[in-house]
Amino acid sequence: MAAAGEANGGTGKLEFSLDVPFPSSREATIALRSLSPDKEPRKGGISKLITVSGSTLSVRWSADEARILRVSVNSFLDHLSLVLETMEMFGPPVAV
Amino acid sequence: MTVVIGFEGSANKIGIGIIRDGEVLSNPRRTYITPPGQGFLPSDTARHHRAVILTVLKEALEQAGLKPADIDCVAYTKGPGMGAPLVTVALVARTVSQLWGKPLLGVNHCIGHIEMGRLITKANNPTVLYVSGGNTQVIAYSERRYRIFGETIDIAVGNCLDRFARVIKISNDPSPGYNIEQMAKKGSQYVELPYTVKGMDVSFSGILSYIEETLFSMLVEITERAMAHCGSQEVLIVGGVGCNLRLQEMMGVMCKERGAKLFATDERFCIDNGAMIAQAGWEMFRSGQVTELKDSWITQRYRTDEVEVTWRD
Repeated sequence: MAAAGEANGGTGKLEFSLDVPFPSSREATIALRSLSPDKEPRKGGISKLITVSGSTLSVRWSADEARILRVSVNSFLDHLSLVLETMEMFGPPVAV
Repeated sequence: MTVVIGFEGSANKIGIGIIRDGEVLSNPRRTYITPPGQGFLPSDTARHHRAVILTVLKEALEQAGLKPADIDCVAYTKGPGMGAPLVTVALVARTVSQLWGKPLLGVNHCIGHIEMGRLITKANNPTVLYVSGGNTQVIAYSERRYRIFGETIDIAVGNCLDRFARVIKISNDPSPGYNIEQMAKKGSQYVELPYTVKGMDVSFSGILSYIEETLFSMLVEITERAMAHCGSQEVLIVGGVGCNLRLQEMMGVMCKERGAKLFATDERFCIDNGAMIAQAGWEMFRSGQVTELKDSWITQRYRTDEVEVTWRD
């Protein structure tokens, strides 16, 4: 096990990644656009990056403390599940 | 013909409403009611809204007899309000806006109340008293802004009433304010309390053991001052506290003395609801406004006078 400070390129930060597969790139992008506009609640010490590649939504977190990381990831998963449920109930997206 | 669906959930009510050219086609709503003695916290409120929002959305469409293809625009509350509930509602609005291929519009909650009040009462250009659990403002329209003439310098009048109800453990069903009003009707002893008006503004936090008479008198005074300042002959009361008949009665007395007209709506529309967001969205959409997804973040602070009122002259 790497000594503290050596892992994660020496930043000492906790990192968490999540990959979510979607049926299509369009749907992954819809989820991205719904989930990315709101800012993290003021507490510093956390940043997250949401991207889409192909039909996969990827999220990468970087945090100073486990507690802050847990709250952010937890929140995101709740929000993601609401977006997924909405897409299930009111999808598929209309033809462009 | 323009059909707008509006999503509202900034406090403990979650409502989704559909408006077609000034006609309310549907306006279902659910309220998160806490046990007596307890207020509502953001995370619990968000959880409540999360559990029912998709059901309420289906109801809104069914009761209006419409399909998503019939909707022209999706409006939602951008702010002000509680963060977690605002996000929950915005997520669904953003998602259906994209699924249905319809433009999105972020609406200021206070302006939702004002535009619904104007629609229902047909008041022409009233001085507005906006009173609710989260807001207390006296507003007048001037040159493309809803100008805030006066406001609370600390807590909203509804917040004051709600906290009082909590202290004496009055039921929160259907709302603490409603139950205070019913009890107050049976009261006869007036207790003199600190009356705090500072010019156009009011302060409520100094006086947490109250009776309506004092709070409402303060509001009538600042509304009258704004009317005098603007030379206005109409008053419109909006916001949940606006349901209170005693407030309407007191405001009515002042209006009669000035030869002014008083306008108010009933509990369907003065309490937070989705159709009011749809109505403000309808006005904004028709005057060419749209919210890009990247700008659709919600905000807990959003002043009524930050919005450019492009739909009025």
